[in-house]
Amino acid sequence: MSRRDVAVDRVLSRTLKLGAYTAFALILAGLILQHFAAWGGKITAAGLLVLLATPALRIVVACIQFLRERDFKYALVSFGVLAIVVLAYVLGLQA
Amino acid sequence: MTIAAMLLLVAIGFLAGGFGALAGVGGGIIVTPLLAIYFGLPMHQAIGVTLLCVIATSTATSSQYVERHVTDVRLGMTLELATTVGALIAALVAHRVNRRTLAVLFVCFLLYSAGSMVKKAWDSRSAKREEVIPDYTPENYPVGLAAALLAGGFSGLLGIGGGPIKMPVMLLFMKVPLRVAAATSNFMIGVTAGTSAYIYWGRGDVRVDIAAPLVAGVFAGSLLGARISPKVRPVYILMLLVTIAGWLAIQMIYKLFTGGFQ
Repeated sequence: MSRRDVAVDRVLSRTLKLGAYTAFALILAGLILQHFAAWGGKITAAGLLVLLATPALRIVVACIQFLRERDFKYALVSFGVLAIVVLAYVLGLQA
Repeated sequence: MTIAAMLLLVAIGFLAGGFGALAGVGGGIIVTPLLAIYFGLPMHQAIGVTLLCVIATSTATSSQYVERHVTDVRLGMTLELATTVGALIAALVAHRVNRRTLAVLFVCFLLYSAGSMVKKAWDSRSAKREEVIPDYTPENYPVGLAAALLAGGFSGLLGIGGGPIKMPVMLLFMKVPLRVAAATSNFMIGVTAGTSAYIYWGRGDVRVDIAAPLVAGVFAGSLLGARISPKVRPVYILMLLVTIAGWLAIQMIYKLFTGGFQ
């Protein structure tokens, strides 16, 4: 039995790449800019926020893709992981 | 922060990310002690910053492993149910654990990781690379989930990925092929570290000025490392990492005995 799912792999690798390159570009730009202007620090922080959001985003994308494939078992699993991550985010806000 | 300190952090991140991607181990294990010993960060802050490095490594390398169909996404998501719970609980209690205890636990994990890297290097001397991944069906989910819970807990407490705990269980109990287990572990640590990072971030234990240059370096290192990793034999990189990990463990033990980590 092959456990390969080309559609899931494609959409997830695209999401991860998008997150990685966006965060990388923002952080790099911010690090250089903050030596010339104070608002450069905000770009850096935005890059770190993109980095923090990427794992959550890739769970949402996986959940949607599993739903499209009518694989409800793994859609539910993804939703469960998302629920825990969202709980952590909410508790983080209150910490 | 001076430009020299910033460039030093970028370089540390680059090496940790690059070595981590090439050797298939998390580079986080060397980042935390470097920050705690040489940059004077309290353990909680060193761990908070390292969590972001772990997310960066995972995101950069797994984007490529998933694209090459090495990662078992369904298995990864299932085990994440447990790693995230462990990470959440551990991150919530981490600030009640005093710094010296955290440092002691970290040294233990550092030595354990060094040991598992020695074993990995030894095994990879003779083993042929699995060119084609054999067919498999993961077995023993309860054991896998229990190990994932423990790995998540260590991740939330010590800021590491937890690969050295999950990997042997996936190999031995779940009967997952080596390359798949490594890629899937890599895939999971981003979400696991992300879960505890939200708590550390909320508490103010993620220093943006330290994290940003490190993460930039980690991205560059791991994107490059994951690209060239199929062509590189990991033995020498593993031995180098073991040496660094051993040195840092000695430094941490010395600092503990001289009353550091208060």
